[in-house]
Amino acid sequence: MGLRTKILCGFLILTMMLAVAGVWSVYELTTVGTSVQKLLDDNYKSISAGKMMIEALEREDSAVLLLLSGKWEQGRSIIESGDDLFQKGFAIARDNVTIPGESAYVDTIGARYKAYKDLWIKPIVDTSKEGNLDWYFQEVHKAFLDVKLSVEKLVALNDQTMYQTASDLKNRAHRAIMPGVIAILAALIFTVIFNFLTNYYVVSPIIRTTRGIQHFMETGELPAIQVESEDELFDLVSSIQRLVARVRTAEPSK
Amino acid sequence: MRPQIILRYVGLVLLFNALFLLISCAISGFNSDSAFFPLLYTALISALFGVFPLIFVPPTTEISNKEGFTIVILSWLLSCLVGVIPYIMWGGEFTFTNAWFESVSGFTTTGSSIITNIEVLPLGLLFWRSATHWIGGIGIIIFVLAVLPHMGKPGMILYRTEMSSLAVDNFRYRSQKTMQILLVIYVGLTAIETVSLLFCGMNLFDAITHSFATIATGGFSPKNASIGYYKSAAVEVVVIVFMILSGIHFGLLFAALSGRISELWKSATVRYYLVALAAGVIAITLSVHGSQFSSWVDGLRYAAFQLVSLGTSTGFATTDSSIWPPFAQLVMIFFTLQCACAGSTSGGIKVDRMVLFWKAVVKRIKKMQHPAAVLKVKIDTVAVDDDVLEVNILFISFYIVIVFLSALSLTALGVDILSAFSGSAATMGNVGPGFGTVGSMSNFSQIPDAGKWILTATMLLGRLEIFGLILFLTVKSWK
Repeated sequence: MGLRTKILCGFLILTMMLAVAGVWSVYELTTVGTSVQKLLDDNYKSISAGKMMIEALEREDSAVLLLLSGKWEQGRSIIESGDDLFQKGFAIARDNVTIPGESAYVDTIGARYKAYKDLWIKPIVDTSKEGNLDWYFQEVHKAFLDVKLSVEKLVALNDQTMYQTASDLKNRAHRAIMPGVIAILAALIFTVIFNFLTNYYVVSPIIRTTRGIQHFMETGELPAIQVESEDELFDLVSSIQRLVARVRTAEPSK
Repeated sequence: MRPQIILRYVGLVLLFNALFLLISCAISGFNSDSAFFPLLYTALISALFGVFPLIFVPPTTEISNKEGFTIVILSWLLSCLVGVIPYIMWGGEFTFTNAWFESVSGFTTTGSSIITNIEVLPLGLLFWRSATHWIGGIGIIIFVLAVLPHMGKPGMILYRTEMSSLAVDNFRYRSQKTMQILLVIYVGLTAIETVSLLFCGMNLFDAITHSFATIATGGFSPKNASIGYYKSAAVEVVVIVFMILSGIHFGLLFAALSGRISELWKSATVRYYLVALAAGVIAITLSVHGSQFSSWVDGLRYAAFQLVSLGTSTGFATTDSSIWPPFAQLVMIFFTLQCACAGSTSGGIKVDRMVLFWKAVVKRIKKMQHPAAVLKVKIDTVAVDDDVLEVNILFISFYIVIVFLSALSLTALGVDILSAFSGSAATMGNVGPGFGTVGSMSNFSQIPDAGKWILTATMLLGRLEIFGLILFLTVKSWK
């Protein structure tokens, strides 16, 4: 193999080590970016929707107590705004089903909320239910707790997935950094080896040849020049040796 | 010493590692798991580092003993270092220390692990983990020399340096033929065990990885509960048989396979090995019956598996033997120190040295009884020189001293005495599990980082048979 090819191989190897690591790091970092967006879109949206639904449910529960105490206007206003808020949160959660099994949680919330709403949608003020705390505790509050529990389960599922995704992101970030670290270390070691081999097989023979020629010019004797590789340097030394031999044979005829 | 020649031959070993990394990478790609790039990149780096010296350095017909020795030791150390890269690139539990521990444990066929949940590792990485056992089991250099075309004198020097002097004795062939025999037995046993495990109901991946670990007497399993995961007597029997076979000198196995089965029993070492294992199994069965297992069959089944596993330096497990009675634990610690025959893939002091040791003890007693008598220690009708006996006793003493020093260092780091001693003995003998917190159903994750470095040093000392590593560290002062 020629010298040019050998040296080119060294540089190609060095380039390949760094390029592959670089490309992979970029790919992993891009994936990390996408995953962060996905994490926000998929899980954080559902968690905030869940919090919205819990806030709405608590408002509705307070409103039912107001209705029970005969305050129709205040109670109705709060319960309607609570219902609006719940529907808004529920719609977000329903349109953002991204985790396996999440759909079942959303369906349960829908069914339980319907059962809860059926209890307070009918008139309470000026009916037998007004002031009836037994009815409130046995039916309304129980239904409220059921819906709240379902929403909390949905939030917990998304929390858990978000934690898992965040752990994966940590691993991905690690995987994005490591090729760079390994490539730099490998390139440093490779440079040392490359330098040693070029010095041993290229630079040193050139120095030996130069010294040999100098020695020949001073003394008329060409010392043995050792070249281990069979490349251009070997050819060069052979040519010099032939040249020296020709000069020697030519000298006596002068 | 010529660094360029060392680079050339170590490069061949790196190329060999790259081949197994590529196979692991293909498995990873096939399963679309997260270890694909770490394995691919490591294969690439390993291959590039392996190829480059081949481009520059022309082949040589002569290498000195010093160069041969350095090539062998550097091949081990660099293989372990290459083995670290896919682990740290993949992440998870693998810090640099943990990855180094796992890699050294793999290549030295120790089988001790720091992973708390093995089953979460991607298949590609699990395959690489088992492959490190398989590469290291037969000896990296032997593997490379056996696979490559005849390398002439350099090959012979590397072969003699890599092979234990005890192991060479039972081979009656030239180095190239011996290496081919080793390879045939090694690959053949692996293939037969894989097929046997498939017949027992194991899937192909598990069968291959367990076979790699059994024949290399390594002990890495892709399951947290090791062989205990399968709860199958058939699997246990197959693994026991192959663990015992892997602990016998491969030259004798080859003779047996060539129709000279009687050579196995004619060998004093093999006789001692088999009788000692049988006696150990009986002793442990008696000890665990009643206290651990109500039936004799269960007692025998678990005692046989655990003892053969430690006594061949494999390290698989079917139950947690660290809760067994102290007598059973001590018997197993003895086998952890002793292990199996030289010329096999087993580690430890080795049965051959134990046989020599006992014969030397008997000779000394006889000499005391008959001071004028001229006595010679003989192994299989061959007289053993006093010099060999001295080296043998020196080796055993030095071995015990290193285990003690390692245990002492671990206790200084806060590790309890049982875990420290058994862990040191298990890593020095390339066995794998110890007792206490490093028992057969636990791992080495709770050992402090400094302790993990100490244990990896003992693994390498054990694998390179102590003097190898010491000579490497003092290579400059060689004459």
